Amino acid sequence: MTVLEARSVVKSYGPTPALRGVGLELAEGEVLAVTGPSGCGKSTLLHCLSGILQPDSGEVRYRGRPLDAYSEADRTRLRRTEFGVLFQFGQLVAEISAAENVALPLLLTGRSRAEARTAARDQLDRLGVAEAAESRPGQLSGGQQQRVAAARALVTEPGVLFADEPTGALDQLAGEKLLGELVRTARERGTSVLLVTHAPVVAAYADREVVLHDGVVDASGLGTGRLGAGARTGTPL
Amino acid sequence: MSAVLEMRPAVLLRLARAGTRTDTLRVVLTAAGALLGTLALLAGLTVAAIGTPLDVTAGSRAQSDQYSSLLLRQPGLRPGVCLAFGLLTLPVLALAGQCARIGAPARDRRLAALRLAGATPRQSTAVVATETGLAALLGACAGFAVHFTLRAVLDEPNADGRLPLPTDVLPHPVGMAAVLLGIPLLSAASSAVLTRRVVVSPLGVTRRVRTRVPRPWPGLLLLAAAAAFAGVGALRPEESGLPETDSVLVEGGLPLLLLLIGGVCTVLGLVLGTAWISHTAGRILHRHARRAPALLAARRLIADPWHGSRTLSAFLACVLVGAGAAAVRATFSALWDAETAAARYEARAGVDDRALTRADPFYLDSMFLVDVAVVTAAVIAVGGLLVALAEAVAARRRTHAALIASGVPRSVLARATLWQTLAPAVPAVLLALSLGTALGRGVMGRKAAAGGHRFRACVAADGCPDALTDANSKAVEVPEMVRTTHIPWAELAFQAGGALVLLLAATAAALLFLRSTASVEELRTQ
Amino acid sequence: MSTAAHVLLALLAAGPLHGYDLKKAHDLRFPKAKPMAFGQVYATLGRLERDGLVEQTGTDRDGGPDRTLFALTDAGHRALDTWLAAVETPAPYVSSDLLAKVVVALLVADPEQARTWLSAQRRAHTARLRELTALKADPTTGLGDVIAADFALTHLDADLRWMQTTLERVTDLHREIHG
Repeated sequence: MTVLEARSVVKSYGPTPALRGVGLELAEGEVLAVTGPSGCGKSTLLHCLSGILQPDSGEVRYRGRPLDAYSEADRTRLRRTEFGVLFQFGQLVAEISAAENVALPLLLTGRSRAEARTAARDQLDRLGVAEAAESRPGQLSGGQQQRVAAARALVTEPGVLFADEPTGALDQLAGEKLLGELVRTARERGTSVLLVTHAPVVAAYADREVVLHDGVVDASGLGTGRLGAGARTGTPL
Repeated sequence: MSAVLEMRPAVLLRLARAGTRTDTLRVVLTAAGALLGTLALLAGLTVAAIGTPLDVTAGSRAQSDQYSSLLLRQPGLRPGVCLAFGLLTLPVLALAGQCARIGAPARDRRLAALRLAGATPRQSTAVVATETGLAALLGACAGFAVHFTLRAVLDEPNADGRLPLPTDVLPHPVGMAAVLLGIPLLSAASSAVLTRRVVVSPLGVTRRVRTRVPRPWPGLLLLAAAAAFAGVGALRPEESGLPETDSVLVEGGLPLLLLLIGGVCTVLGLVLGTAWISHTAGRILHRHARRAPALLAARRLIADPWHGSRTLSAFLACVLVGAGAAAVRATFSALWDAETAAARYEARAGVDDRALTRADPFYLDSMFLVDVAVVTAAVIAVGGLLVALAEAVAARRRTHAALIASGVPRSVLARATLWQTLAPAVPAVLLALSLGTALGRGVMGRKAAAGGHRFRACVAADGCPDALTDANSKAVEVPEMVRTTHIPWAELAFQAGGALVLLLAATAAALLFLRSTASVEELRTQ
Repeated sequence: MSTAAHVLLALLAAGPLHGYDLKKAHDLRFPKAKPMAFGQVYATLGRLERDGLVEQTGTDRDGGPDRTLFALTDAGHRALDTWLAAVETPAPYVSSDLLAKVVVALLVADPEQARTWLSAQRRAHTARLRELTALKADPTTGLGDVIAADFALTHLDADLRWMQTTLERVTDLHREIHG
């Protein structure tokens, strides 16, 4: 069953087009990688799909309902309850502990402090960073911080997890641990994952890959323009 | 300086000016602060330049009769006026320093790039200080222009040929030069001091947080202040009518010194104590908060309790002075009551109705000027507060953007910022009001008295044109009229409300930055 | 001397083993490599013994037939040290088939043909990457397998990145020339 669907999504920043008609489907429980070279529109697509940005034209549907149909407040609520987001770095609140960071989305949905705390610790434990619960983000390594951020994204048991270069600031082993735990948890719960990355090894965690080039999906997967090569076109060696 | 920094002045200037295109807000605020400070100092210097005419009969207290205002006419009052103007420059400097902390993203990147290119931390501080100094110099020049324009425009004698303002004298040239150079230099110095915790590394700008837990020892400073004021009270002559402050100021010596020490101790105790208040408010809030905004605010208060004392200090000093002024006014008001009562008694005793005009509401009227000064200073201080809050919001822009992206409503972040401002500010403002009131009442006393003297009142039906004799007058003993000074509750409540409104306004304005800074652009990974 | 011979030397460095245990030790540590045949084990041991790098130290009877134990000689230790100390030539890929095919596809073949082949090659690479990633994520996979999978993954990743860069390089060049 399709959970999230984009139809001819167009988005420009001023005169610069970022997405020029993108369509894709994310199935229930599917892990989908969106790849492509820098500036191909991957992040913009993630922002449109998660309702952070609104497309100029085209539409995004979550469980069949267009995101346009939600008010700004409802979209915010949707992101908080149905979506989880994970960015490259810098998303944790510096002044509060790891456990409190993870508990934050639950507190915002009206859960009690004790309840939120238990759920947060449980989630941290699942991602292998239980020992970091009482530390502030600044006291943790980059890998631990990202796993805390992943715990925060997953603690609401979202339907879709959006991850934008989640391992971009990590070394390979730390990145592998993060992605391994993330994908495992998502598969256990049937959470769909949209993974934006430029690295083939990261995209390999997905079941399927969509390659963007210049704001459109590139079916060949090469993520490049016209191959004007060959002896006949006279490209010099 | 250049030798220490290994940078040619021209290079320093170039680097400092590089930011003026992008960091308009900070430059405008700094320049505006410098303009106000220049105006205040020039006004003070002008008053100081008023000459005292030599009057043999009146001795040294000769009046400058060309002015309509008593404050300008009486030589004994002019130092107070100068001092008030001088004090007005303090919040201005605080504002200029706070401005230097605003970490506009563009400037943060520029400073980090400087460090990456091999600039030392000292050099990056020099760039910040020079930028502030240049902006302040612009403001000071504008201040001179405004001063001389106003001087020309307001040079209008009133009906009886008196000047409302001292537009006939010029400040001393040395003084003017000192203002023109001093304002930029002091602004630059205060920005260098206030940015000492801003660490510019090649990888970006971070604000180092003092993590030491504040202790309530600033309370000792308040005790010291109380002792100093008690000393002033003890040294006050028993039976003087009112002008104790006047006499203290005029006579100088030990009471004046104690008054100064007490004032400084109070302000320091209040400012440093605010950190403890912030920390305690954070702890209490954390224990009782149920919802996310209050929890976030509580954690932020505990994490950086010094933020409160840094941002609120100038504002709290204004509240303190305001409450003190209210207490002083209450004393003057009681004195006015006592004097009119004494005058009425005198008038009833004789036919000399001139007695009624003897009571002079001068002191009461002069308080109006104090109020204007306090409100002006408070508004400038709120400007500094706004700048500090905006800086705090801007420094968290990436976290805020990520939280909003993950579905945290902006209103939650806004409420957290409100809690964070108000939780320490409300108790601190109440403390400042109490201290100011206690200070004013401590210095001025709780009673005001008039009368208590004898005189001969004219009782002749046709008046006593020549001299009072036993035949046309009688001895009158005016009993001492004592009036209790009341605590000016209404005025204090008004000030508390005003302070709250100003704080809310500054927070609301800072939250506008939340809207513009927490944009999705912060999340871009490339 | 072959890599396999050096690997056997290295396995014997821990202590004497007979041929059957040597084969098991090898297959345990290089699980994704082709299992070593018994014949190859004994043939290699014979050559090593001839060169004086290993020697027979006795027999071991464990319920079954007598089995000869082999141990490393001093010369064998030295040969192993020399092999370990020698830097591998960092050039095993400069003449790979992939390189040859990509160059031909981009510079000689028809653009459509090139695109089809490159796309298929990329799919094959990413599919293999995904398989290896899944293998690594499986908690039952042993450390040896994970290390071997990492080796393969890293090389496939390098291939893919190189193909991507080459594609962009060629399109950039084409854009510059043909506007």
